[in-house]
Amino acid sequence: MRVKWLIILLPSFALLSGCWDKIELEERGYAVVLGLDKSEEDHMVDVTFQIENPQVGSTSESVAQSEPPSDILTITATDIISAKELANSIVSREIDLSQLQTIIIGEEFARSDYFNNIIGSSIRDPEIRRKMMLIVSKEKASEFIHTNHSKLETRPHKYYSFMRDRWKDTGYVPLSDLNRYFQRTANALFLVIYASTEKDPETRKSSDSYKAGQVPQEAGDPAQMIGSAVFQNGKMIGTLTGEETRYVLLLRKKSIANHYVDSFKDPIENDRKISVRLLKVKKTSVKVDVEKANPEVRVNVPITVQVLSSPSLHNYANTKERQRMLKEEIHDDLHAKIMKLIKKTQEEFEGEPFVWFQLARREFWTMDAYEDYDWQKKYQNADVQVELEITIESFGSQLKPPHVGSGK
Amino acid sequence: MSKEPSSSRNQTKNDSLFTDDFQHNSTLIYEAFSYPTNQSLKTRQISALQGTMRGILFFLEGTVEETTIETHVMKPFYELSGKPEDGKVVDMLANSVLLTTAIREIVRLQDAVHDLLNGNCLILLENEKIAISANTASFEKRVVSEPTVENVVRGPKEAFIESMAVNQSLLRRQVKDSRLICENMTVGDVFPNEVSIMYIKGVADEKLIKEVKQKVEGIQTDVIQNLSILEQFIESRTYSLVPSTLMTERPDRATSFLLGGHILLLMENSPYALIVPITFWSLFHTAEDQYLRWTNVNFNRIISILAIFIAIFTPSIYLAVSTFHVEMLPPDLLFAIAATREIVPIPVLWEIILLEFTFEILREAGIRIPSVIGPTIGIVGALILGQAAVQANLVSPIIVIVVAITGLSSFVIQDLSLNFMIRILRFFFIFIANFMGFFGIFLAVACTFAYMASLKSFNVPFFSPLAPYFQPQKGVVFRKPVWKQSLVPFFSNSRYKKKVSNPKVGSRDD
Repeated sequence: MRVKWLIILLPSFALLSGCWDKIELEERGYAVVLGLDKSEEDHMVDVTFQIENPQVGSTSESVAQSEPPSDILTITATDIISAKELANSIVSREIDLSQLQTIIIGEEFARSDYFNNIIGSSIRDPEIRRKMMLIVSKEKASEFIHTNHSKLETRPHKYYSFMRDRWKDTGYVPLSDLNRYFQRTANALFLVIYASTEKDPETRKSSDSYKAGQVPQEAGDPAQMIGSAVFQNGKMIGTLTGEETRYVLLLRKKSIANHYVDSFKDPIENDRKISVRLLKVKKTSVKVDVEKANPEVRVNVPITVQVLSSPSLHNYANTKERQRMLKEEIHDDLHAKIMKLIKKTQEEFEGEPFVWFQLARREFWTMDAYEDYDWQKKYQNADVQVELEITIESFGSQLKPPHVGSGK
Repeated sequence: MSKEPSSSRNQTKNDSLFTDDFQHNSTLIYEAFSYPTNQSLKTRQISALQGTMRGILFFLEGTVEETTIETHVMKPFYELSGKPEDGKVVDMLANSVLLTTAIREIVRLQDAVHDLLNGNCLILLENEKIAISANTASFEKRVVSEPTVENVVRGPKEAFIESMAVNQSLLRRQVKDSRLICENMTVGDVFPNEVSIMYIKGVADEKLIKEVKQKVEGIQTDVIQNLSILEQFIESRTYSLVPSTLMTERPDRATSFLLGGHILLLMENSPYALIVPITFWSLFHTAEDQYLRWTNVNFNRIISILAIFIAIFTPSIYLAVSTFHVEMLPPDLLFAIAATREIVPIPVLWEIILLEFTFEILREAGIRIPSVIGPTIGIVGALILGQAAVQANLVSPIIVIVVAITGLSSFVIQDLSLNFMIRILRFFFIFIANFMGFFGIFLAVACTFAYMASLKSFNVPFFSPLAPYFQPQKGVVFRKPVWKQSLVPFFSNSRYKKKVSNPKVGSRDD
């Protein structure tokens, strides 16, 4: 008899009850982008949620024609989690942060002291993943989210995940996620993707040294993401251009962006440019010597070059002399810019974004010894020397320039 | 060895002996078969030596080959010349006159009835208290045909039929060895049936043989119609989902089990052999396992072990992920599911149960449906399961995929008992996933494995020889090339005392 009751009761327990956090997946509202802004009130933060609408663009089975692809709302609260709770009084679905991939931080908020507190306290929530990408927007994050609607990607999460892959190729932005932020912010400069939807067309330059908003652009998607915001001790202190960001990545021991396209002055015809692809096939070798009064850093960057196009139509493939000229040109140009960047980090930012602190830390037996040494401070007077090892790998599939008109 | 046929309820004077009284003897037989109400009993007056020797010949219609009776029993009897000595009539008839293969002298009515029922003809002679039973049996049976369930692409194409004699002959043809023992026992108190226990002496464990025989002997019931029912009498745990015996309809598979030291049970009216004891691996391996090349068979095994896991876990994992662990889904998939789920009125659990039951109904209907209208079931099923349910917003499309892959995977598992176990387990996991998500699934997996590892089929652990680990591995999970395999008994009780004591049979070690 007892067994009979057990047989009846057990399945009904399983069917009728369940854990408290059980909730069907369509009852959740998936926030895919989160924006953080400084609130007008003290110790408050404006949290913007971009909640994706699953019925737009995900499947042909069930389409809601008139609904927008996402819902954006801003809540002022003390922190992210309480903003989420408050938002539940407005949004028809329970807001879920587990699919959140991108956090946009308004520059104003990033430069405030309160930023680190908000970000630091948010990771207590298991829904906040440390893989989330951080982006600093020049304008307010809420404005950025409202303006940033890609023409090709209806669904915002797809836009950001595709952009992430693009960045690996271009190297114009660092890959910054929450986990790296917590790892590095106390030890060194931390670079965060810098983005903007506001155009700043006056500062047109001929080189690649753009920041977000400065890229000459007509039509297309509103958001530009290039360059990086520099954080020190949980606070934004400055910006780097896209080009500078690339050099930072080159000088890191291992970087995620391993190749990108750059252009240099044509060594024969100086007003023309020559486009090459720079590849970092091997790791950069970095040696840090902390024995001396001022630390010594010796960096050796192996760079492989593929010539992509030379509009001057000079034949570089045939003679070694011309190859040497090209190599020298690339070397001198890169070296000068890199040294300038290092000087900038030492003097302006007073810290290094190259993740060299990890190599310096190795030299100490204990964590205390390393902390006493104070790498950030010592770096400002460090003797940094960079060597570039440039190898020209190929000149493309067509070696000779075509014989058109005055081709030499 | 065999037990004598026990008493039958409707034949009260069954243990009565034949006497000198010819009339009395024949009346006993008439009464036993309720003659003349029962028209099956046929009689014929016979006489020899110019009517000085007379008797009656009995047989049951439908159990004998009548031409055999004519040529091998009656003809020699009529042509008898030379009067035998008194008291040696039966002796002479049995030894030098009748031409059938088996002759038995019978003194008790009970034996006479038994022999008649089994297709012998019975001769009662005047003034003799011993009857002669001659083997003339011939029951109707179908011819040996191709297997219907355990199909193979490459391998023998014959299956057991309902006749035990034919089945034994199929086995004998494969094992031409004097050590192949066949012991007969009788089960069923009221309507006794014969069970034949086959094993290879010296390979099968002695204790095991004894245990199986004791189990069969210990059955107390009125009737056991065939092996499927016998299986339920001798299995280790009646209330368990896990099977402890195995049925095969393939003589070659049965043979390979015999050679591996298993014990085979055969019965009349059962077109399969019952194999005891078994392990999980016996259920998992298919008939084709030894016939395919090494690479192909191992590929097959990977597929089938995957199929087992898919068949058990897919619906429950989907349920757990979609209600407790949405962060595990990639966003594109998540949004696609959420979009279609939004317009479905029922929770995921009921979606799954609805479709799973539909599938099980379909499966059952496919078996029960008359074969004439069988083909329609496929079309109806595809419609119900697929497009229609989705378009009616009754279920979301992903559920159709989940249930379809689950159902398809369950067909990979050939053994019926294992198949049922997996299909029932699946529902158990669905409920537990609905209750506690992945945490519940993992708990249930741990419990299931612990339970299965503790199971024993005739004292053989279910997961042996992998857990408990013993013996040189015969490649239970992945097979070795055939020339590396040797025929080692799959399990031996004696292992606990000393090393495997059973001799190797037909060792093929290179």
